Amino acid sequence: MRAAALAGGAVVVLGWPWAVPRYFVFLASLIAINAIVAIGLNLLTGYTNQLSFGHAGFLAIGAYAAALLTIQAPLVPLPLTLLAAGLVTAAVGLALGVPCLRLEGLYLAMATLAFGFVVVEAILNLDWLTRGNDGLRVPAARLGPWPLATDTSRYYLVVTVAALLIVAARNITSSRTGRALLALRESEIAAQASGVNLAAYKTLAFVVSAFYTGVAGGLFALVVGFLSPDSFDVFLSVDFVAMIIVGGLGSILGSVMGAAVITTLNDSLAGFQSYRPLIFGAILVASMLFMPGGIASALHRAQPRQGDRA
Amino acid sequence: MIVRPFLLLLLAVVLAAPRVAAEPGVTDTEIVVGGSNSFSGPLAYTGEQITKFGVDLYFKVVNDAGGIHGRKVRAVYYDDGYRPQDAVANTKKLVEQDNVFAIIIPQGSPPVVATLEYLEQQKVPMLFPYQSSPVTRGRRYVFQGMTLSDRSSRMMIDYLAGTRKFKKFAALYQDDEYGKSFLAAFEKDLGRYGLKLTATESVKRGVTDVSAQIAKLHAARPEVTFLVLVPGPAAHALRERQKIGWTDTLMVSTGPLTDEKYLALATDAANGVEGLSLWPDPMTSDLKGVQLYRAYMLKYFPKNEPNRYSLAGYFAGMLFTEAAMRAGRNLTRDSLVTALESIKGFETGILPPLTIGPDHETQKQGFWVRVEKGRFTPLTDWLKSE
Amino acid sequence: MGEGAPLTTAALAHVLVSGLATGSIYALMALSLVIIYNATRTLNFAQGEILMISTFVGWTTLQVLKAPLVVALLIAVVAAAVLAWGLERLLIRRAISATHFDVLIITLGLSLILRAAAGLLWTHDEFPFPSFFASQPLAVGAARVAPASLGIIGASLALMLALAALFRWTRLGRAMRAVAQNQRAARLMGISVERVYSASWILAAVVGAVAGVLIAPVIFLSSQMGLVAINGFTAAVLGGFGSMPGAVVGGMVLGVLENLAPLYLPSSIKHSVPFLLLITILIVKPGGLFGRVTARKV
Repeated sequence: MRAAALAGGAVVVLGWPWAVPRYFVFLASLIAINAIVAIGLNLLTGYTNQLSFGHAGFLAIGAYAAALLTIQAPLVPLPLTLLAAGLVTAAVGLALGVPCLRLEGLYLAMATLAFGFVVVEAILNLDWLTRGNDGLRVPAARLGPWPLATDTSRYYLVVTVAALLIVAARNITSSRTGRALLALRESEIAAQASGVNLAAYKTLAFVVSAFYTGVAGGLFALVVGFLSPDSFDVFLSVDFVAMIIVGGLGSILGSVMGAAVITTLNDSLAGFQSYRPLIFGAILVASMLFMPGGIASALHRAQPRQGDRA
Repeated sequence: MIVRPFLLLLLAVVLAAPRVAAEPGVTDTEIVVGGSNSFSGPLAYTGEQITKFGVDLYFKVVNDAGGIHGRKVRAVYYDDGYRPQDAVANTKKLVEQDNVFAIIIPQGSPPVVATLEYLEQQKVPMLFPYQSSPVTRGRRYVFQGMTLSDRSSRMMIDYLAGTRKFKKFAALYQDDEYGKSFLAAFEKDLGRYGLKLTATESVKRGVTDVSAQIAKLHAARPEVTFLVLVPGPAAHALRERQKIGWTDTLMVSTGPLTDEKYLALATDAANGVEGLSLWPDPMTSDLKGVQLYRAYMLKYFPKNEPNRYSLAGYFAGMLFTEAAMRAGRNLTRDSLVTALESIKGFETGILPPLTIGPDHETQKQGFWVRVEKGRFTPLTDWLKSE
Repeated sequence: MGEGAPLTTAALAHVLVSGLATGSIYALMALSLVIIYNATRTLNFAQGEILMISTFVGWTTLQVLKAPLVVALLIAVVAAAVLAWGLERLLIRRAISATHFDVLIITLGLSLILRAAAGLLWTHDEFPFPSFFASQPLAVGAARVAPASLGIIGASLALMLALAALFRWTRLGRAMRAVAQNQRAARLMGISVERVYSASWILAAVVGAVAGVLIAPVIFLSSQMGLVAINGFTAAVLGGFGSMPGAVVGGMVLGVLENLAPLYLPSSIKHSVPFLLLITILIVKPGGLFGRVTARKV
C-alpha cells in the first residue's frame, strides 16, 4: 500500500514536466523549494517549539551565497555550490542559535524577526559584494556537462535535492535525535530530566533548519534568476510560518503540503489583484478555525491508522 | 469605412484556413497585453492608477471607437506586491499561460529588472516600465517609459548650476535603486561644472521621521537641497524644514516626485519648493490631450480623480495603440518594435511631439515648476536632455 | 557620509524632542500589544490594522459630516472598540483553546484582510490628516520646538496615566491584572476570564485608535500606516513583553535612538540600529529591560 503510494508519487513527480504546460513546471519548482524551507522550519518549530520569523533571512543568505559562488567561481560543481550555500547558512544559524537558546516563545520570534531585518540591511550595505538594491542577476548554472537552461532541467535538480532532504529529514525525526527533539517539545524540563542535552539539541535544530533553508536559497537563486533585498521581506518569513502551521506542526508530509497550498494559493490569487491579500487572509483564518492543527492533523483524524504518520 | 473591415474579413477568411504560427496574444478579434504590477504592498496606489485607471482608461476609449484595426485590446494584470520573485512568476505566467502579446507598464526597478532577461530571451516587448533607473537601457524589446534618472539629472543640473548659477548642492535620497541612480547622476553632472554634492543623507523607504537627516543637511548650509524621495517622506522633509525654520535653501524635487500628491500631503510647507515636472498638471492643464484625458476619466471612472500616475498609464496606452495602428493588421511583436522605432513627431497633446529613436526612450524632457498657493506654476518651457 | 558642520545644541534638542514624540507613539502601540498579551498570552498582529481602520473611520466622519476633530476622535475610538469586540467574539475566542500558533495565524490573516479592505474602501492612497496641534515652531530661547511633538508627547503621557489608573483602581483593571498573573486562580476567584479577553481587546483597540489620530497628521493616513505596529513590537520586547512600564520606556528608547543614530553613525549601519539593539538586548538581558525571568513550567 505504502510502496504503491510512493511509486505513484514518484511517477507523478518525474512525469510532471511532460504532462503539464511549461509554467507549471516552474511553479512546481517553487513549491519544492518552499517545501524544503518548510521542512527546515518545521524541524525547528514543530520539534523544538522554537518559532522563527526570520527564515526569509536564512533563505537570502543561502541564495546570495550560491549566486556569488556561481558568479565568482563558475567552475565549482553545482552540488558543491548548493552544499556551500547550506553550510554558510548553517554557520549563521549556529551563530544565531547559540544566543537564542536563552530565549523562549515570543522573544525568540522577535529576535528572529529582527534577524530577518538585519540580513536585508546587510545585503543593502554590502553592495560591493551583493550589488545592493540594484539586484543580482544569477547566471545559468551547469550540472557537469549539462547547462541548466530550461525550466524542466532546473525542475529535476530541485526535486532531486528536495527528495534527498525529505529522506534525510525522515531519518532525523525517526532517529534517537528526533525522539529527543519531540521530547523537548512536550516538556523541556522532563526531557532534560531523562538525560536529553537541551542546549545541544536546540542548537542542532537551529543549525539543521538553517542548512535546509540555505540549500533552498541556493535553488531559489537558480530558479528565479534574480535576487534583490526586496525578495526577502518579513512577509516571506510569515508565508513560511503559515506553510508549517497550515500544513501541520511536526509533520514532514504536512510541511510539503503546506508549502504546496500556500505557494499555489499565492500564485493563483495574483490575478485577483487588489483582492489577493483579502482572499489569502480569509483562507488563512478559515483554515485555522475549521482545521486547527493543519492539514496533517486533519488527515490524521480522517484516517486514523497506525504507523502512518509521515 | 465599411469596405475596409469587409475586405479584411475576406482576407482573414482566406488566410484563416491553415493558421500558421499565429502571433501570441493576437487573435482575429482581440489583442491581449499584460503586466505584473503592485496592487498590494508599498506601491499599491500607483500600481492601481497606472493600470486600471490609466492604461485601461485609454483602452476603453480605443475599444469604444472600434479598436485597433478591428481588434479590441485588453490588459491582464497580476499582483506582485513589489516582490521580484512574484514578478518573475507572474511574467512567466503572462507569457506562457495567457500568451500575452506584450508586457505593459510594469512598476518599480526590482520587479522590472528581475524579468528583463527572460522577456528579452522570449522576444516579448516590455513597454514603458514605470521606473527611472537606466538599468533597463540597451535592449531590443524594451521601450523606456519614465524619463530616466541621468536625463532628469542633466536637465536639473544644467538649469540650476548653468542658468541659475547655484554653487552648493545637497541631497536627501531614498536608500534604494531610485535614490542611488539619481545620486550618481547628480555627482557626474555637477562634475561638469566643477562642483559636487556637499552633503548627502539617506532615508529608508517608509520612514516617518526625518528630523535627524534634515538637521544634518541644515548644518551643511546648502543653497539647493534635492529631494530624491517618494511623496510621504518628501512631505515629512518639507514639514520638518518648516518646524526648524530652515528657510535659506531651495528644495528641489526630482521628476518622479513632482506631483500633486506630495503637495497635498505637505500642505503649506510646500510653498516655494521647485522641481522638474515630467507631466503637465493633470487637474488644470489646458493642453488638448490633457483635457481629453480628464473628459474620459469623468466619463469612464467619474469617482477617480485625475492624477499623474493614471495620466502616465493613459499615455502608455496611447503610445501602444499608436504603434499597433502603425504596425497594421499583420501585428507581430517584431512589427510592433519596428513601428515604435518609426514614430516621429507624434502629437499626443500631452507631451511635446514624440520621436522614438534607436535609444528606445519615449520621454526625455521636463519643465521647471515652482509651488505657488498649493499648485505647480511653470517657470520654463520644456527643457531638453539631448 | 557623516561630513558637514557640527550640530548646535538647539538642533540636537529638536531631534531629541522629535524622537520622544515618535517614541510615545511606539509606546502606545507597545502598550496595546501588551494589554492583549497579558490577558490572552497571544500576540495580535492585526493591532496596527485596527488602528488604521479606526483612524480611517474617524477621517471619513470628518469628510462627510464636516465634524470637528474631537468628534472624529470619539468616532474612531468607538469604531475601534466595536471592531475589536467583534473580531474577538467571532474569531479569536473560538480558537483561543487551540495552540497559540493558530491564533497567531488568525491575526496575521486578519491584518492582511483589513489592509486590503481599507485599500478597497479608501484606496491605497496617502491622505493628510488634521492635527490638534500647530505645525509652526515655537521659539524657546535659541531652540525651536514644534507644538505638534509636544502635543503628541503630552497626550500620550495623559493616556498612559489614565491606563495606569484604570489598572490600579478599577474592578476591571484588577480583574485584568489577576488574569495576567494566573488565569486559573483568577477563574477560581470568580473572575470571568472571557470578559477579560473581550475587555483587553477593546481596551487595546481604544489605545490604538487614540494613537492613530495622534500620529495620522505626522505619518499620514494610509492603508500602510498600521505597519507602525512593528515598531510597537520591537518596543514591547525591548521593555520586556508583559511589563507596561517596560513598554513605555522601550518605546521612548527606540524613538530617540532611531533619531540619534542617523546623526552620529555612518550611513551603513544607522538603519539597522533598532534591530541590532533588539538582538543585543535579547542576548545580554533576554527578558528585556523590565522583564522578569519566568519559571519554566513542568
